[in-house]
Amino acid sequence: MAYKPSMRGKAEALDMELDIRPVMNLMVVLIPLLIASAEWVKLGVVEINVPPAKGPSAGGPGDAQDENKVKEKEMKLGLKIAIAHDGITIGNASALLEGEQGEGPTVPLTAEGKYDFDLLKKKLIEIKKKVKGKGFKDEDRVVLTASADIEYQTIITTMDYVQTYEDDKGDILPLFPQVNFGSILQ
Amino acid sequence: MAFQPSKSKKNLTKEEGSLNMNSMMDMMTIILLFLLKSFSTEGALVTPSEELRLPVSQQGEKPKKELSVMISKSMIMVNDQVVVPDMNVIPKDQMIIGPLASKLAEYAQQERDLEIDVGKEFTHQVNIQGDEKLPFEILFKVMFTCSKTEFYKMRLVTIKKG
Repeated sequence: MAYKPSMRGKAEALDMELDIRPVMNLMVVLIPLLIASAEWVKLGVVEINVPPAKGPSAGGPGDAQDENKVKEKEMKLGLKIAIAHDGITIGNASALLEGEQGEGPTVPLTAEGKYDFDLLKKKLIEIKKKVKGKGFKDEDRVVLTASADIEYQTIITTMDYVQTYEDDKGDILPLFPQVNFGSILQ
Repeated sequence: MAFQPSKSKKNLTKEEGSLNMNSMMDMMTIILLFLLKSFSTEGALVTPSEELRLPVSQQGEKPKKELSVMISKSMIMVNDQVVVPDMNVIPKDQMIIGPLASKLAEYAQQERDLEIDVGKEFTHQVNIQGDEKLPFEILFKVMFTCSKTEFYKMRLVTIKKG
C-alpha cells in the first residue's frame, strides 16, 4: 500500500512575531540611565615633570669644578618664554629675541590686546628648525615664566602652542614638549 | 423606519495593524552600544562649580585619579578637604604655602607607609585643578610646594576642547 502523501507541503508557514516588548522595556530603562551617567565634558591632563627637589648642595669646591667641566661639555639651549602684560618674550640665558620694532617683547600683543600665540608659534618653529640636530641636550625643553598675575588660562594656552606644531604635510610634530616652570617675573 | 443593517459591512473583518518596530530597535541598539562604550566607572574626577572652572586646552592625556590639589577662586583643597580657606592670607614673600605643605607631607607619609606595608607604589603624582583665572603666582607657589613635598609629577587638569 502506498503511503499517504505528505501534508507538509501544504502546511501553512508558521506566522509568528517575536515579542520584543521586554527588550524595548529594557532599552527604555537603560538608555536614560546611561545618558544620565555619561560624561559630557572631556577632561585632559597636561603633564609637567619637575625633577625632584634637590637638597642643599653639600659638594665642596672640587665637586663644583667637576660640575663645571660637565657643563662645558653639554651644550645647553636654555630656552625661556616669559609672559608679561605687554607680550611674550623668547630668550635664553645669553640673549633675548627682539621684536619686529627692535625693542619690547618678541611677540607683542595683537591690536585687540590679546596674546599673539600664532606669531609665538612661528618664532618657536624657526628656533626649533635652527637648533634641531645641533646636539643641544635640552632641545625639547622650554622654561615658562610669567608675571605674578598672569591668568592660568593664558599659561595653559601657551603650553598648548609650545608643545606641538604641524608641519607642511599636516603631521603633528613635537616642538618643545618638555615644559618647565621658572620663577615669577618681577 | 430604521435602515436595514448593511449586509456587506457585516462580513468585514476588522483591520489589523501592527507597528513595525525594527528600525526603532536598530536605533536603540546603536544608542545603547554607544552609551555603554562611553560609560565610565572611574567616578567623577572633578566637581564643577562656579568657584572652579578648569582652563581649556587642546591636548592632554586621559586623566587618572590621583591625589588632587584644587585651587578654586578663594581656597585651596587637597582631596576635597579645605586646607587654605582664604587665599589672601598666603604671605607674598614665602614660596611655600605652609598649611598645604603640611597636608601634602601627611599624604606623602601615608603613601610611603603604604609602599612599605602593602607594596603599593608611591607614584609621586598629583593632579592640580586650578581655576582659569588663577594668577601665576599662586599656581607657581602651589607647584613649588608640591615638588618640595615629594609630589613632583604634576599634572594640570584641563577641559579638552574639540
